[in-house]
Amino acid sequence: MSAADDQAAVEKVLAGDIAAFEGLVRRWQGPLVNLAYRFCRDRGRAEELAQEAFLRAYRSLDRWRREAAFSTWLFALATNLYCSELRRIPARIVTLDDIAEPSDPRAIDGGLEQADQDRAVRRAVLALPAKYRETLILFYFHDMDISTTARSLSIPEGTVKARLSRGREMLRSKFTQQSLAPLMSKEAQ
Amino acid sequence: MRNDDLDRILSQQEEILPSSGFASSVMEAVAREAAVPPPIPFPWKRALPGLSAAGLALMAVLTGSLLLLENGAASQPLPPEWLSALTSLLQASKTLGAYWIAMALLLSLASVKLSTHFASGHGSPFERG
Repeated sequence: MSAADDQAAVEKVLAGDIAAFEGLVRRWQGPLVNLAYRFCRDRGRAEELAQEAFLRAYRSLDRWRREAAFSTWLFALATNLYCSELRRIPARIVTLDDIAEPSDPRAIDGGLEQADQDRAVRRAVLALPAKYRETLILFYFHDMDISTTARSLSIPEGTVKARLSRGREMLRSKFTQQSLAPLMSKEAQ
Repeated sequence: MRNDDLDRILSQQEEILPSSGFASSVMEAVAREAAVPPPIPFPWKRALPGLSAAGLALMAVLTGSLLLLENGAASQPLPPEWLSALTSLLQASKTLGAYWIAMALLLSLASVKLSTHFASGHGSPFERG
């Protein structure tokens, strides 16, 4: 299915053929559920959010202006919904200060399993303030494409770059503190 | 930790597959949505004469008040014909229970606005705050 197929399906739905919407759902269900999952890390909730995003898309199909690809419009709509919904009822996350402290002082440099460290970093993203969290999640979801991220969030590219920089800085400082803290406490002894 | 490390970790995230019934469940919800009759639009055509008349009356009252103020007649008592008209208007509104009607109209308007708001999804749990 291509962008032209998406447009053809939309035209059919607008003409009253509801069944044509299923093609759009089948094509975009994976990306929409996965995007929601990155926001909440809860499969059930991710599907609920994605379903609501499809419903919203169905209700407002006639508002899709053909200048942008259907997928761009759909992702912007879904992003808007996910962000607002997760601001209203946040995902079950821990605060940045509570993110897994490595038990071994050499942890970050080698002792901690790579997979554990990766998980800790991903959890730390969810603990960031909303604007940095949303920007980081979308940036990596859209394969590090700044302009797509900016379009999805309806903010200028410069703002995306600034938020990415600040968000990464917060993550780096969190994990640098973690790697240094045990060494400093040893020196103090 | 460098940006490259962050890029590597955050780019390689686990992917999940939607459950097998997801698309059907979405289509069921869409079918339910499609089965709901569209909201009845406000009858602007019918309301327009009444609204225009009310607008004109308001304009006339405002213009009259301004003219009275300009002529320095604001401190003077109202002309007797105005007073009698006002008294009969108040009397009529009392007889008809106009206050209750006005209150009922306001309440109806508020409840219609509220239900339209919820029906359009703006008040749904998934709406952006």
